[in-house]
Amino acid sequence: MAETLLWVLPLVPAVTALAMLTTRSRRILSAIDVASSAVLVALTLLLAREVQAGGPRSLGVFRVDDLGLVFLLLLVVLTLAVSIYTVGWLGQAVAVGNMKAESLRSYFALVHAFVATMVVTVLADNLGVLWIAMEGTTITSAVLVGYHGHRHGLEAAWKYIIVTTIGISFGLFGTVLVYAAAADVMGGAGTMSWSAIMQVAPTLDPGIVRIGFIFVMIGYGTKAGLAPMHLWLPDAHSQAPTPVSALLSGVLIKCALLAIIRFQAIAAAACGPAFPAQVLLVFGLISVVVATPFILAQRDLKRLLGYHSVEHVGIVALGLGFGGTVGTYGALLHVVNHGITKALAFFAAGTAIARYGSRDMRAIRGLLAVAPIGATFLMLAALSLAGMPPFSIFVSELMVLRGGIGHGQWVAIAIFLVMVVVIFAGLLHHAGAMAFGEAPAAAGREPEAWSPLLAMLLLAAIMVLLGLTIPASFDALLQRATEVIVG
Amino acid sequence: MSAETVTIIDDLGALLLFTMILILAAGQIYRAIYAVAAQSLLIAIAGAVLATATGNVDLWVIAGVTLAVKAIALPWVLHWVVRRMKVRREVESVIPVAATLALAVAIVVMSFHLSASLGTVRQAITGNALPVGIALTLLGVLVMATRKTALHQMVGLFASENGIFFTAMAVTQGMPLIIEIGVILDVILAALVMAIMVLRVRSTVDADIASLDRLRG
Repeated sequence: MAETLLWVLPLVPAVTALAMLTTRSRRILSAIDVASSAVLVALTLLLAREVQAGGPRSLGVFRVDDLGLVFLLLLVVLTLAVSIYTVGWLGQAVAVGNMKAESLRSYFALVHAFVATMVVTVLADNLGVLWIAMEGTTITSAVLVGYHGHRHGLEAAWKYIIVTTIGISFGLFGTVLVYAAAADVMGGAGTMSWSAIMQVAPTLDPGIVRIGFIFVMIGYGTKAGLAPMHLWLPDAHSQAPTPVSALLSGVLIKCALLAIIRFQAIAAAACGPAFPAQVLLVFGLISVVVATPFILAQRDLKRLLGYHSVEHVGIVALGLGFGGTVGTYGALLHVVNHGITKALAFFAAGTAIARYGSRDMRAIRGLLAVAPIGATFLMLAALSLAGMPPFSIFVSELMVLRGGIGHGQWVAIAIFLVMVVVIFAGLLHHAGAMAFGEAPAAAGREPEAWSPLLAMLLLAAIMVLLGLTIPASFDALLQRATEVIVG
Repeated sequence: MSAETVTIIDDLGALLLFTMILILAAGQIYRAIYAVAAQSLLIAIAGAVLATATGNVDLWVIAGVTLAVKAIALPWVLHWVVRRMKVRREVESVIPVAATLALAVAIVVMSFHLSASLGTVRQAITGNALPVGIALTLLGVLVMATRKTALHQMVGLFASENGIFFTAMAVTQGMPLIIEIGVILDVILAALVMAIMVLRVRSTVDADIASLDRLRG
């Protein structure tokens, strides 16, 4: 049963992508979109139950363990939210001419192809398949980033495809090196399967794994948006259509983190946990520090959220770098919390931008007066992103911090704390200025569309819930996932 | 692995580095395209040599696919795009070509130094394929970082990928066939998407996509 699900899961969005090409009706396209995402959620929950009962399952190049499951759950929940959001967003975008009614089917087809490639990256056991799917996400999403077709969109798309393609070719090199080390130990035909390599990992040659891990870290780190390889990220996040921005920030960069975690586990077994932890700490700190000034000085709302993702990916890397059970658990929880919250923020930002016809935060004023519900969601998201209790991000940031204290990483903690406080102030300043004040006359005053609000409500509910309490079953899942990494 | 095979692979490695220098020093985009085509041809030959030496049939397939796709099809696509764009101007470099070449030398020396520090594993990879592969990959990035035209950046990307393929082939048993085919398929798709973007920008704003620089901060 569970084995069947492993190949059915990527097939659902892949078949949906093809089905999208058969119709032009916006209503039918949206219906297929939502239905397919709902099926994906249902199948994933089914798979989660099977794995909880019977442990990791594998089928050919695919494998699901508790670690992959955490990322898969995030992926399908956000995909569903994006599908619901798209219904209302599309109506508005077609009305103002941002999206052309006749090319919608290719948009939907690309989105689902993008989702299919991401599902494969999460389920891939074979490191080569992982790489191929990761490059697949670049190709499908690059077209989506430039989908509006204006010169800024195309500029962002070009930067995105060039930087990430060259980035992950480093990832491929790292994969080849780790494979060479494994083939050397196994003798005869080596295998690229992660689970098989993990079994011989302690006997791998530390020298070559070390170089391989650095290549992988730079490679998949580019895709994850870790500084200083993050150059594509603010452009792509700000120029892509809003639902795509949410997928990029909420899911895609997390998939790349999962790839890093897989290699971290191999490297920790081969060279001792200190080496990969050190590398992760360095990249994490650079990301947090580099993102801060750009967040403070930012005027473009979606770029702000993009740079903010760089900071949060950095925090996840810090959590993984601090290591131990607490730090790793915190990092995984942060992956989920940031994914949910950032998608919510992009949704709220997207509707606000559509209302004011500008991404410039100086033009967005008095949102609370013209769109009270959307403005509330935007404020909630901003408060949570800033790290305000009782929201979920506060909890996971605290855990990452505790992980660091447990390992006596005082310098890293000090830098981390200063940056988080500065960003806290900057973010609340930006959000407050948008929500309050006098709305300009140009601001749209039409009633708020129901579907984006529903999508935001879904994500906000999860965000608040995870802040107040972590459900026992999810807590158990995270703990088992932590064990996969820490061993 | 016989000594002759190792020698041939090392000779091919030297030729690969030579083609890389041609790409770095190319004044016109046509020359860079021919150089990367020659480089891919050398990779295909290396595949054939390793296939004969190891008796691994998969490597024959990979050599054939590399020849068809990377030595013929992709350069042809690049050539076609150049003709469509109707540009024959000199290549614009961010830093002088001499400085680029000096950097390239440093990278090659560093790559050899790095892999010399690895002891036992060098047995797992034939001859000097590891340092040559690392050098090609990094030099490809250098091309992409120092050139401001889209086509040159694509050439750099292909050169970079050639380096990875060279190392991957020389890993004792070769990579699994299906993975290599998947990787090549991805490269083709990426190249097509890039070519479409380049032409699209050329037709709408009459500029090179790589020289657009409005998005900042």
